Amino acid sequence: MKLLNRKRTKKRSPKVANRLGMLGGGMVLFLVVMAIGAPWFAPYDPTERVGLPFQPPSAAHLLGTNDVGQDLLSELIYGARVSLTVGIVAALVALVLGTSVGVLAGYYPKRLGRFLMQGVDVILILPFLPLLIILAAYLGRSLLNTIVVIGVLIWAGPSRIIRSQVLSLRSREYVLASRTMGAPDRWAIMRHVLPRTALLATGTFVRAVSTAILLEAALSFLGLGDPLQKSWGSILFWAQSRGAFLTPAWKWWVLPPGIMIMVASLGFALVAFAMEERINPRL
Amino acid sequence: MRPLGLRNIFRYLAVFVVAVSLNFMLPRLMPGNPLALLAGVDVGLMTPAERAEVIEAVGLDAPLIQQFIDYWWSVLRLDLGFSFRSERQISEMIMERLPWTLLITVGSLAVSAVVGIVLGGFSAWRRGKKSDLSLLTGMISLQSLPSFWLGMLLISVFSVQLGWFPSFGAVTPASDFEGWGHIGDIAKHAILPIVTLTVLSIPGVYLTMRYAMLEVLGSDFIRTARAKGASEARVLFGHVARNAIAPVVTFLAIRFAFAFGGSVIIETVFSYPGLGRLIFEAVSGRDYPVMQATFLVFTVAVLVANLVADLLYPILDPRMRVR
Repeated sequence: MKLLNRKRTKKRSPKVANRLGMLGGGMVLFLVVMAIGAPWFAPYDPTERVGLPFQPPSAAHLLGTNDVGQDLLSELIYGARVSLTVGIVAALVALVLGTSVGVLAGYYPKRLGRFLMQGVDVILILPFLPLLIILAAYLGRSLLNTIVVIGVLIWAGPSRIIRSQVLSLRSREYVLASRTMGAPDRWAIMRHVLPRTALLATGTFVRAVSTAILLEAALSFLGLGDPLQKSWGSILFWAQSRGAFLTPAWKWWVLPPGIMIMVASLGFALVAFAMEERINPRL
Repeated sequence: MRPLGLRNIFRYLAVFVVAVSLNFMLPRLMPGNPLALLAGVDVGLMTPAERAEVIEAVGLDAPLIQQFIDYWWSVLRLDLGFSFRSERQISEMIMERLPWTLLITVGSLAVSAVVGIVLGGFSAWRRGKKSDLSLLTGMISLQSLPSFWLGMLLISVFSVQLGWFPSFGAVTPASDFEGWGHIGDIAKHAILPIVTLTVLSIPGVYLTMRYAMLEVLGSDFIRTARAKGASEARVLFGHVARNAIAPVVTFLAIRFAFAFGGSVIIETVFSYPGLGRLIFEAVSGRDYPVMQATFLVFTVAVLVANLVADLLYPILDPRMRVR
């Protein structure tokens, strides 16, 4: 009986991971459609004053208006653009940095690898959030700076994961074979090592998107985001500084942006979880 | 995982050097007037005489290498500088704030440790069952919860609608509570920030505990324990938990550093007068010296937490003791 049970649970786990991955994929798809179709879905231009300030929800403004009379629903819909852009581009920066450092450190584990990994350890120990904040404060508030700051701070973790895989790949027979036949390192890395780290790198990339979305929201909430962009974090920044959470307005001003941030971050996190489960089952 | 050795000490020194150098370089490399970035003053509003005074006070007239040496010298003497904005010694401002941040981080860490270890252990024990899977999914969702948003919602519900807890600060202003009343007042103000920080920390503790337990559950000595007829409870608490606790405690020490940094956001939401709020105020008020000093304090806190983790590990896991 016990044996039977164990068999069943073993079979069931990947299914659960897959289902969670599908759910996450659905959430991501929903947001991508929302971001691309924002001009069609949004009832108003989010940068225009289209009503009286501090209006509760009504037929004209389904989620009410903010402190200067902009439509909150339109802001919410356009916010998907900033969140996804920052999330994906910052994660791309992290992917390129993390994969390059990871592959180099894994393929040349002796001197270069040890040196690079010591650098990675230093970055991983530094107090993350305070460093993010002072970098953002010195660089100034723009979309590009937000992306750069997040990108250069989140690559270190992924680079370690990729390094450990490259470390095991480099001693495989086919890599050794191509080296004995005189192929340059560049060939071995491009032809044999990189393609086999692709799956793992994609997994860490998707997880990085999830992290970057949360960090963008946090930076914008602290007033360090691009002042010209409507992001979910900045809606919450204004809600906070106008004291919206001390009034009944929290239900339409504070609640929706947070739910959107969570959906975005969780969507990518679930996809990443399903991918990691396929590479390295932990369920 | 990693016993304390020369390598770790070297690494922590490197972290400290990088943090101090970043602090030195950033204001001097960025576009804009370095005087404004260093002293945090409005250069445009000053007379030339005042400006010369501040330049001298900051040491901007010396050659760069001299500035760098001076900067190190002042850091090593624990001289954190002077805030021109609030006209106070920065070390004084930091000492005022530090206890509040310690209160909420230590408080939240204690709660999240208990909850995370219990739930993680339970989850590993029920591996693959429905309760394990739903707990795991719930924890993954919690990791995507924006902490500042949770804080705002808690204020809306528990402070404003229900009126159970105050919505800002660490003590009631202009109150003269004595003894227990004072402690009760502090506790009331600390509860919501601690809850927020705890919810933020639980998933990490849970996932570490669950994974550590699973690793131990698969090892040979557990099969031996079962084979010799030990009860399920004895296997779980005597063998599995005992061996899984070391990575969890290490994680907690490092988590402390994270919670410390996370206080930036949570203290901002609750207007809680801690270090995190100080760095936020410094950033929005362009008080760069305070911002830099606070960053250094955060760095030292992280290093201490890592050091404690390194020292605790061999005590909890005898296999890691250096012979």
